[in-house]
Amino acid sequence: MATPDVALGPTSASLPGAGAPDLNKQRVFVASQWQLMWWRFCKHRVAVASALVVIGFYLVVVGADFLAYADPNASEAQRSLMPPQRVHLFDGWRFGPYVYAVKGARDLQSFKRVYRPDPSEKIPVRFFAKGFEYRFLGLIPTTRHLIGVDGGRDAAKTVFLLGTDVQGRDLWSRLMYGTRISLTIGLVGVTMSLVLGVILGGLSGFYGGIADTLIQRIIEILRSIPTIPLWMGLAAALPRDWSILQVYFAITIIISLLAWTELARVVRGRFLSLREEDFVVSARLVGCSQMRTIFVHMVPSFMSHIIAATTLALPAMIVSETALSFLGLGLRPPAMSWGVLLQQAQNVQTVAISPWLMLPAVPVIVVVMAFNFLGDGLRDAADPYGR
Amino acid sequence: MLAYIGRRALLAVFTVWAISVLSFVIIQLPPGDYVTSYIAQMASMGSVVTDEEAQNLRIQYGLGQPIYVQYLKWMRLIAQGNFGMSMEWRRPVTEVIGERFWLTVVVSVASLFLTWVLALPIGIYSAVRQYSVGDYVGTFVGFIGLAVPNFLLALVLLYLGFTLFNAHIGGLFSPELQDAPWSMARVWDLLKHLPIPALILGLAGTAQQIRIMRANLLDELRKPYVVTARSKGLTEIDLILKYPVRLALNPFASTIGYTLPYIVSGSIIVSLVLGLPTVGPLLLKALIAQDMFLAGTIVLLLGVMTVIGTLVSDILLVWVDPRIRLEET
Amino acid sequence: MTEGSHTPRARMLRSRFTIALVVGALSIMVAAGALAQMSKSALIGKLEGPEVVTDPAKQPKQLKEAPQLAEMVRAGKLPPVAERVGQDPLVIKPLNEIGKYGGTWRGGFTGPADFWNGYRCCSGPDHLLFWDYTGDKVTPNIAKGYEMQDGGRTLVLHLRRGMKWSDGKPFTADDIVFWFEDIYRNKDLVPTPSAAMAINGKQGVVEKVDTYTVKFKFPEPYYMFPDMLAGSTDVGGQAWRGALGLGAYAPAHYLKQFHPKYAGQAEVDKKFKEAKFDSWVRMFLFKNDWSLNPELPVLSPWKTVTPINTATWTLERNPYSVFVDTAGNQLPYIDRVVLTLGENLEVVNLRAIAGEYDFQARHLDLAKVPVFIENQQKGGYKLYLDPGDYGGDMIIKFNLSYEADPEIAKWMNTADFRRALSLGIDRDQINETFWLGTGTPGSVVPADSNKYNPGPQYRKLWATLDVKKANEMLDKAGLAKKDGDGYRLRSDGKGRLRIEIMTLGGQFLQFTQIAEMIREQWKKIGIDLTVQEVERSLALKRTAANEQQLGAWNNDGSEHLFTFPLHVFPFEIATVASSGPLYAKWFQSAGTQGKEPPARMKELMEKFKRAYGVPEKERIELGKEVWKIAAEEVYIIGVIGMGPASMGVRVVKTNMGNIPSRQYNSPDGKTPTISRPVTFFWKK
Repeated sequence: MATPDVALGPTSASLPGAGAPDLNKQRVFVASQWQLMWWRFCKHRVAVASALVVIGFYLVVVGADFLAYADPNASEAQRSLMPPQRVHLFDGWRFGPYVYAVKGARDLQSFKRVYRPDPSEKIPVRFFAKGFEYRFLGLIPTTRHLIGVDGGRDAAKTVFLLGTDVQGRDLWSRLMYGTRISLTIGLVGVTMSLVLGVILGGLSGFYGGIADTLIQRIIEILRSIPTIPLWMGLAAALPRDWSILQVYFAITIIISLLAWTELARVVRGRFLSLREEDFVVSARLVGCSQMRTIFVHMVPSFMSHIIAATTLALPAMIVSETALSFLGLGLRPPAMSWGVLLQQAQNVQTVAISPWLMLPAVPVIVVVMAFNFLGDGLRDAADPYGR
Repeated sequence: MLAYIGRRALLAVFTVWAISVLSFVIIQLPPGDYVTSYIAQMASMGSVVTDEEAQNLRIQYGLGQPIYVQYLKWMRLIAQGNFGMSMEWRRPVTEVIGERFWLTVVVSVASLFLTWVLALPIGIYSAVRQYSVGDYVGTFVGFIGLAVPNFLLALVLLYLGFTLFNAHIGGLFSPELQDAPWSMARVWDLLKHLPIPALILGLAGTAQQIRIMRANLLDELRKPYVVTARSKGLTEIDLILKYPVRLALNPFASTIGYTLPYIVSGSIIVSLVLGLPTVGPLLLKALIAQDMFLAGTIVLLLGVMTVIGTLVSDILLVWVDPRIRLEET
Repeated sequence: MTEGSHTPRARMLRSRFTIALVVGALSIMVAAGALAQMSKSALIGKLEGPEVVTDPAKQPKQLKEAPQLAEMVRAGKLPPVAERVGQDPLVIKPLNEIGKYGGTWRGGFTGPADFWNGYRCCSGPDHLLFWDYTGDKVTPNIAKGYEMQDGGRTLVLHLRRGMKWSDGKPFTADDIVFWFEDIYRNKDLVPTPSAAMAINGKQGVVEKVDTYTVKFKFPEPYYMFPDMLAGSTDVGGQAWRGALGLGAYAPAHYLKQFHPKYAGQAEVDKKFKEAKFDSWVRMFLFKNDWSLNPELPVLSPWKTVTPINTATWTLERNPYSVFVDTAGNQLPYIDRVVLTLGENLEVVNLRAIAGEYDFQARHLDLAKVPVFIENQQKGGYKLYLDPGDYGGDMIIKFNLSYEADPEIAKWMNTADFRRALSLGIDRDQINETFWLGTGTPGSVVPADSNKYNPGPQYRKLWATLDVKKANEMLDKAGLAKKDGDGYRLRSDGKGRLRIEIMTLGGQFLQFTQIAEMIREQWKKIGIDLTVQEVERSLALKRTAANEQQLGAWNNDGSEHLFTFPLHVFPFEIATVASSGPLYAKWFQSAGTQGKEPPARMKELMEKFKRAYGVPEKERIELGKEVWKIAAEEVYIIGVIGMGPASMGVRVVKTNMGNIPSRQYNSPDGKTPTISRPVTFFWKK
């Protein structure tokens, strides 16, 4: 179905009388708000691509255990700081991915761990191989992973796509689990900001007056405070003997405490402009309760803006989490998040000698950019009569 | 107009007070106090601090009293221009913060400046050539700045600076000029060390600015007067720069308001990694050691800095754009 | 490969073969690793250092001084060097050669809490007595000689004739007496008397004999006292302890103006208010702080010029320094020490890597050794590793006095439980990962060369990897039942047995990461370990409140068992990890408070206490017994010992002279002071 050109609106240059009756234009005029948004959105190619990237990442969140092939906590000193292994795709002429077995030892001159692939031993890489046990979707116990090697339950002989860290743990597998935690923190935090933002922004915009002034002032105060010192203070206040899970939720709460202000502003702006619209006035005149007016009539009309703003808030959450982990105030090991992985790479020896440990920065960059492009696209599309 | 400024100034004062309370409360939140940290340090040296000694220290540092008493004590001191003693540094807080505060301002302003320098041209280009390859590349670059974890980038640049350029590690001054009094040589030294921190910080804010510049300029470009000007025969460049850009710049002024806290926050992280003699590393240590007066004063100062920045930008905005004034009434 | 190699059977055989090969390769790797360890690297040298010359016949006849001081003497601003040093200079034979004057020594420090940095590099030593470079023998230092009299009850110290403080005033017995009478005994300045000045809880006194002779008298034999003077204890000198009103001596002529007894309370009160201190006590102690007060007269070879609470801690040569070399040159050779502030450890390390420091052994991270090595040429320095002599670069303490959970308390007190857990740790893994193979896996006992070491067999006692035996022991102890995941169940039927270990972040060692590795290892013996990283102050609090179950720390200093017992047994309560805070209370209060320890621990404590009052030979036997009990009972698990992780990574510029290839790495020895940095110099 060809995307109708929704840039055409009532103010477009083309005159209604010119040319044959345009079926596309007809569709435009009868299309629902969501359809208009969708068509508008699809025009923005980068945004569509970003959406696919984001969906891809959330699939990783769901299938992290499946995509990981090594137990992320299985340490082995003899595998410490292995660089990424090269996977040879073709064994002769056949498609048969394999890696060479690797021998490593500490070079006593340079004190580095030196690894050499042994060309005489090929370890074939299998798909849907058996590995460590886990529960798929938290329900089905299984040992199948996307890739692996024979005898892969013994972590000593797996393939290492992205190399290993100081303790010899596979980076790829840790990255998979890290993705899960980082992206879900984002979701939880954004949901909280959303709730706070809609409620407070709504109160502010709908009722106006004192509520508005008060909430506006609070928002301004919060936005004037440099976030890092505030977070540092709050996070330093978190009892250090809380469990990982407790810290996780506390962190999301802390981050969303400041993030809601942006959403509240958008919501308030929308409420303010919608308040005087005819359809709202008539709803009130007809006798709708305030709740009904707000939720049934007003909110749907700026839903799109909310979605856009929310999407833009997510990358900020992710970046905040990494910043807090860097400060040592966020998640800590044995939790695995991008922030934690980056924090473990934040040292001179990684930059100088084991740079592959900085790879977790790549998904951060990709996801943040994807969310931003996606949010941009949604925001543009949210106003189908705009340009 | 004056009424507006007056109102904003009053609000600013109120905000500063709120920040002072907030910062004081935050500092008190962690369990224990400075004496517990002091005991910890002593223990690490194999030395014992007896309960009696700890009690004496608490009395001496006034830690035994309730929080609001301590807060009022602090406020009274500030009114006298005395920001208290840093327990860890055993010097007045003003001395400890001293130069660092101005350096924080310098670094923040430098990044702000760099942000504009980068964002302006990219934003203009993006708006004018909307949906072109250049537009995407420009926004891409902007977003990269936002997405790259700045602490990692800072460390990588630090290391590369050393391996490739034999640069002095971190800091804002060369070791010889570190403690020297101010002179042209010292200023020049500072300028030489500024680019890397300013770049890392500035990159993050660039994306936001590009977007705003782009959106504003797009709005302007659709306006009828642009069509008129074009039909009158003005060249493209003249056309764009003469009116639309200048008009689109107006909201730019307001962006100081919320970019400043963002940059100040970011500067803390970058300062930590690069070992800059700014307020950031000081604050982190103070929070961990629960050095009450020092941590509180720093948070207060940072808050004040951003509030003043916001105020200035609000005033600028109102002075330049009459529509805002109308909106407020 | 033949056609048949693609049949399923052939494939299976091939993969089995592959597995065998890989396993074989791995075993070779492990063996190679073990072999490599035996031939430790070129980075660890031979223990060496300068010697103090005590024979008066060998004293240099003519004294010489640094050029700028000679200049000042000519200008009449300073008395001649012979007058400044006195008749009994402290003669040190430099390690390699007589040095040359001049130059600046650059280092890095991390802030006002990093006072150890200055003590270790530049304080002298200014103890009355000090250790020789082996860390074993007590030699004269500020005091030129000593005798034990009266069956060990009296220590007679002979001071150096004509010795001066850094401002030219004489240093005499009066300074020691002033300290004892007017500082130590003043309840405002020193509220609690120090255990170092007491034997069996009874305090000693100081008596002046003449201008240069002083007696420390104790009611019972206190043969250990010279060790206390030499070690980092409360009587260990002004630089180390002056700020607490301790140290065994103090500049009477300077401090009297801040003391109410001499200057009057009113005068002193006026002074402290003007200077904005909180009380005269705070001011007095500040004035006696070696790192903070540039006006303080000192005996150390360098004195603070810009204090520790600024961006640069600078120390300059003390013109009245009593140290000279065997050719009569007044030491130090190096004019100034400049420590620059680096608040971030990565920055400090990177500066060291870049060669911005001349001699730095503090805050350097063992994990960065490969980067240091890579940049040696570029930075113009050489990397050394100085392993400590203590058995536990990393230790794990069981809290035997834990009470909150009776089940856990029971197991803490079961020796076989502790031993089994110790057997479940794969130390080689940990050594390779975190110590880069430079440590020694083993129990808590100190190095074989240490005089208190009970015997080489104690190194491996309960300190090898033996998963089978560990499982057997735990089964027999009553923990044979396991749950579905393989973890042992509590004997009281309340589910899985979970124990918790407390670690500190941001230290010289990665305690938390190591604890996580141990957690994975203990899965194999069915123990569920939770790792809890905490802040230092929280650690102190929880330990003091008897809330800690297991605690990770290191036992540096324990090679000097009697001056640093903190991490050998529950010695005192204020510590980040303890094997029994209630027992520590009992110990410190001589049995009146706290809880009585189990029999063998009591035995250990008794032997420990007795050792202070007996002559050296007996003391050594008692020390060995103490370690024997510690190793057998496994109150504390030794993980990796004798490693260089804690201040053992050293970079030194190649053109610095008299640098030992290996130093005695010990907090008691204030390394590198034990290598007498006064003799370091710049070769041109």
